[in-house]
Amino acid sequence: MLTVVKPGLQTTLQGAPFSGHRYLGMPAAGAADCLSLALANRLVGNMRHATAVEITLDEAKFTVERPGILALTGAAGFLRVDGRNRSLHEGVSVKPGNQIHIGPATQGCRSYLAVAGRIEARSLLGGQSTYLGGGLGGFQGRALRARDRIKSTNGSSSPPAQRETPETLHPKISNNFILRINTGPEISILTPSSQTILFEKTYQVGARTNRMGSSLKGPTLEQQCLAQMNSAAVFPGTVQCPPDGEPFLLGPDAQTTGGYPRIAQVIRADRHLIGQIRTGSVIQFVKVSNERATEIYRKKLSLLTPWLGAVSLW
Amino acid sequence: MTIADIHACDDWLSCRLESLDAVHAASAVIRSQKTWQEVVPGLDSIAVQFDPAQTTPKQAIDLLHKQLLRPTAAAEAQTDPITIPVCYDEIFAPDRDWIAGKMGISTEALMEWHSSLQFTVTMLGFMPGFAYLQCCDDIVEFGRLSKPRQNIAAGSIGIIGDQSCIYSFNSPGGWPIIGRTPIQLFDPGKDQPALLSANQLLSFRPISRVEFDNLAGKQGE
Repeated sequence: MLTVVKPGLQTTLQGAPFSGHRYLGMPAAGAADCLSLALANRLVGNMRHATAVEITLDEAKFTVERPGILALTGAAGFLRVDGRNRSLHEGVSVKPGNQIHIGPATQGCRSYLAVAGRIEARSLLGGQSTYLGGGLGGFQGRALRARDRIKSTNGSSSPPAQRETPETLHPKISNNFILRINTGPEISILTPSSQTILFEKTYQVGARTNRMGSSLKGPTLEQQCLAQMNSAAVFPGTVQCPPDGEPFLLGPDAQTTGGYPRIAQVIRADRHLIGQIRTGSVIQFVKVSNERATEIYRKKLSLLTPWLGAVSLW
Repeated sequence: MTIADIHACDDWLSCRLESLDAVHAASAVIRSQKTWQEVVPGLDSIAVQFDPAQTTPKQAIDLLHKQLLRPTAAAEAQTDPITIPVCYDEIFAPDRDWIAGKMGISTEALMEWHSSLQFTVTMLGFMPGFAYLQCCDDIVEFGRLSKPRQNIAAGSIGIIGDQSCIYSFNSPGGWPIIGRTPIQLFDPGKDQPALLSANQLLSFRPISRVEFDNLAGKQGE
């Protein structure tokens, strides 16, 4: 129901992550900011993890081919339909020929355009999200290009009764992040002073940042011994530290195993924020216990449930 | 393995194990329990992921500890040994001559030697279907490329000492490359999408460029 006019930097179809196949090397993929995805889907009456259009940093433009309802959430600077400003976090009825203009993100990184109904995407391993590294899923396994047609089956033609995300649930998108972390299995490879530095100093996201991961610039972390570590499981949100002491943070498309010490893990409740970091974002890591992380996650879900229904974040 | 070997984050655990055999044995048993969202073996550890809305880290630790304490038979290879055809022609093997030089042997001897080795698939990881392989031969140490390549072709065979690997997709990578297989390692349309599995025995069979093209053509049909 949408034709891509201008795809921007990297626009992909993303929904739920792939699950249960990491032992085969299959990464999670899926929406980098799963909370913004769920909020967008809520506004058009879709399942919360339904496949939507993930837009990265830059502006993007689409033409509407069929009448329907769409909603935009996330970092976009604005949403215009035929040149008229519309609000993010609002269900918008559109007609064939309408020009959708999504503004570049002034802060944060990714936006989600949900369309009422079911977007057609390649299915594999129980999912439909795009995994760019393998050219799998989504729209022909790749990022969208101009003139691509995003097809969808008809959703409900009238939007849900409540058309706007409650103000209190609008995620605060900025370029400063507090990410709560648990210590990782190899934290003790760092010298005691470096272990302190990681939690006390801030890090800035480097030029190398994408769906696979982000380099972090800040105080160099020293390792007590540079013993080779055997490859072990890593997950989205894992912070690894190579011998050069410059840590990096893994994103949704990260590989499933890695050979660098796993020094920290962003807790599940804060992991959706990783989808909004960009070059120059400032990150403060805050250490919490794993029990506390579970409490925070359950609390967050309970705050979201009245609006989103039963939902999980990833 | 004791409970102290288990490290818990809020939605995954990692447990150090004493050997790769123990990892293979444990992962087979734990996966069969179907209690975890992910069971990911490493080379000397195993990780499991769970839903923190349902399970606390403490509950998860207790459960994993119990599962790991259950006596396990030595891990039997669950799949038949496999032979992977590989073409060692220079066009597919940018580092072949360099590696042969490091080992002090001719390129012919390198191909003969590599295809005579018996490998075990230690694990899949890095990318879907990417296989890490280990052999028992004593080999001079040579490391990764000092500068990783931006694009390594799918099917490329890498080698670092007694370890080899097979790239399943075009990707950046740092392993020296000595050949390429036309066989597809990951097919998401299949019930078993990965061609190889952990703990499988594997050897290589040298093929000519003509046979490579024939096999590659058949894969495309």
